[in-house]
Amino acid sequence: MNIKEIRSDRVGESYFEIDHPSGLKIFVYPKEGYNSTYAIFGTHYGSIHNSFRKNGGDVITVPDGIAHFLEHKLFECEEGDAFARYAKTGANANAYTSFDRTCYLFSCTDRFEESFEILLDFVTKPYFTDETVQKEQGIIGQEIKMYDDSPDWCCMFNMLSKMYEHHPVRIDIAGTVDSIAKITPDYLYSCYNTFYNLHNMALTVVGNIDVDTVLSVADRMLKKSEDNTVESFFEEEPEGVSDHFVEQKMPVGLPIFNLGFKEKSDRLLTTEEIAYTDILLVMLASQNSPMYRDLLDSGLINSSFSHEFFEGEGFCVTIFGGESREPEKAAEKIKEYIRKTKEQGLDPEDFEIAKRAVYGENLAAFNSVAGIANAMMDNYFSKRELYSYIEAVANATFADVSDRLNTLMNEDKAVLSVVRS
Amino acid sequence: MKELISEKLFDNIRFHTVREERFKTFRLSAAFYVPLSADTVSKYALLTRILLRTCEKYPDFTALSKKLSALYGATLSADVFKAGDRLGLLFSVSGLDDRYALNSESVSKELSQLLCEIIFRPKLKDGVFDLSELALAKRELVDMIDSEFNDKRIYALQRATAVMCAGEPFAAPRLGAKDDVDTISAEELYTAWQKLISSARVEIFYVGESAPDQAKETFRNIFSEVKRENPALSNTVVRKVGEVKIVFEEMELSQSKMILGFRTDCAEPDDDVTAFRLMTAVLGGTAHSKLFNNVREKLSLCYYCAARYNRTKGILTVDSGVETDNIDKAKDAILKEIEDMKNGIITDFEIESAKMSVINSFNEMNDSAIAIEGWYLSQVFDQSMLTAEALSEKINAVTKDEIISAAKKLSLDTVYALKGVAKEDEV
Repeated sequence: MNIKEIRSDRVGESYFEIDHPSGLKIFVYPKEGYNSTYAIFGTHYGSIHNSFRKNGGDVITVPDGIAHFLEHKLFECEEGDAFARYAKTGANANAYTSFDRTCYLFSCTDRFEESFEILLDFVTKPYFTDETVQKEQGIIGQEIKMYDDSPDWCCMFNMLSKMYEHHPVRIDIAGTVDSIAKITPDYLYSCYNTFYNLHNMALTVVGNIDVDTVLSVADRMLKKSEDNTVESFFEEEPEGVSDHFVEQKMPVGLPIFNLGFKEKSDRLLTTEEIAYTDILLVMLASQNSPMYRDLLDSGLINSSFSHEFFEGEGFCVTIFGGESREPEKAAEKIKEYIRKTKEQGLDPEDFEIAKRAVYGENLAAFNSVAGIANAMMDNYFSKRELYSYIEAVANATFADVSDRLNTLMNEDKAVLSVVRS
Repeated sequence: MKELISEKLFDNIRFHTVREERFKTFRLSAAFYVPLSADTVSKYALLTRILLRTCEKYPDFTALSKKLSALYGATLSADVFKAGDRLGLLFSVSGLDDRYALNSESVSKELSQLLCEIIFRPKLKDGVFDLSELALAKRELVDMIDSEFNDKRIYALQRATAVMCAGEPFAAPRLGAKDDVDTISAEELYTAWQKLISSARVEIFYVGESAPDQAKETFRNIFSEVKRENPALSNTVVRKVGEVKIVFEEMELSQSKMILGFRTDCAEPDDDVTAFRLMTAVLGGTAHSKLFNNVREKLSLCYYCAARYNRTKGILTVDSGVETDNIDKAKDAILKEIEDMKNGIITDFEIESAKMSVINSFNEMNDSAIAIEGWYLSQVFDQSMLTAEALSEKINAVTKDEIISAAKKLSLDTVYALKGVAKEDEV
């Protein structure tokens, strides 16, 4: 078994990367003096993996929302529900599904090994029947309706649906009441058998823990997994957007907007590119920026204003958004500032300040066991390494960030999404 | 969890320290407590907005923001919260520990001073708050009030509290009413600020690695110049219920929200508060509680259904997200679980798992500076401030009989539902 220690002098900590004989990649990050331990068992499978094949077989297309549905169903085992099993150890357990991964997690301050055994056990033992699938359709139906009433959630998915014509990132992670009605145990088993292969998964354990404890349980619980090839298919996506504006009415106290830019996404970005983007967006849109100040003074935004950048297989998006009494005007002003900054260039002093802010915020993120565990999972599935991000921030130059500006936020590919009463 | 080292700076002003070397950051917060009242709550909420924007030393919003970013993305925040019939104003800074600064500058010293500048040295014009700053702060507050309406779960809880506690100070929403905000003048706001500085009860918390002396002395010096009065803080606990209040309101929503409010006849400093906390966990505080297992999992009636207990006011609420047609069914199902508890239908497993879950959540608090601060902050008005370990021991000692006795004290006071109705054009 290959165990590698990865150290960062800057952070003053280290973690272990393990190639487990079962085929699973394991990361163990001890945090000295911490009470709690946080473990995530995740698969590189999320809401966008709707069309796929295993080992060169037939391409299967499955109903929208099935990854999230599978997440819910996996908690049910033949012996009963995993929550009931965790109840015997006191661990705090949960799970989530995103565009490109499904993660099962728990945190505990005592009896780690027992909880860890439950996690490895129920995630590797699917049990789906017609009856349990039917019952879940009721619960998830309620969850979907709750999101239907969330203006933030609707605002983002409305934007994505105009930005992406075919790519499944346009569809709500939980699917729709209609799409989940089509889910059957057979579908669940084919998704499970394709994506819940240890070679397609990872395990991260952070906190009051050491490598030996993790391995003693993993060695016992994990059977060697065949190395299957998994391919996902995405319909070809036009470069542009289908519409520049989308609006939905629902009862809100004040309107919400997302101004998004569809970015080039022919490959996943490097750690450096992510770091430069983060610094750039702080320069452009944080509370320090002239744009923020102008928007605030004009009454077009409030302190809910924020920016976001995310990417995955076949999608990449920059978003500015928040609450605004005049979303159209706010969006125009943001576009104007982007245009102006591209023409006139960035300010070197702003760069130094933004770099320090991103540096400090990233270092502070190492306080949290949950934050580290999720970041390691994210990095692994995106083929990046945890500590290289903070190095990339510390070493970023003004020229690096200026170059980044020119490749992002093309007005032709902007979508403004508004939710108002 | 490390014990708090508390020092009295002056009457009604304490400085609390938790020395922790495990974190990359430190945190310093000052909580100011004033009486909660519908008449003044907007003013105090507005104060947090205006003080956060600028100060005498950094009279420009952008300059202040840049200063924080240059201090490695330090955060400065202010918030208002209700602590029973008292209103708390919490001003906080959090920043990188000095060990990690790239050019060995002292972030903690600068930030501690900055926090005091923000609270005590506001930007003034002609002896009162600057009018242009006031206008921007008002807009920010009105937006915050409107924005709480966007989250229907929060909104429904707020409405339910207003119905249940009508006539008590606690009925006031923490940010106040929108209509009141507009009428506040620069003079009135300045008077409210003076009142805050001179008569609030103040609890200051420092969690971090380096010595807090700098911060402590800064606060001591500033307060030594203030002529102080005694804070007039009080809290009432309503122990008996009259007729059950039933209020249904309608809105265009896919999912309805239902809240059941109970009076508990049990509040700080009663002896049975610990038992009541555990009873709440057994009922609806965990992912294996009675409400989660039976109302959500077995009956599929709700996506969420949770109980929470306000031990200052002696109020327990059950809030749920439910299909409109199922409101009555869900209500009956929730009340049945409570009846079961009153009748002693509680398994040892339910008790043990709730104990483990509660104790686990207590112990997890110790791994974050903000959680440690919150842990002690929530005990400011209790007779003593316990560590997570000490409270865990008390939880562990609670017996089944005590849980049943606690459940028996629940009396339904209010049924509130925000009923989802279809949009008109869909009917």
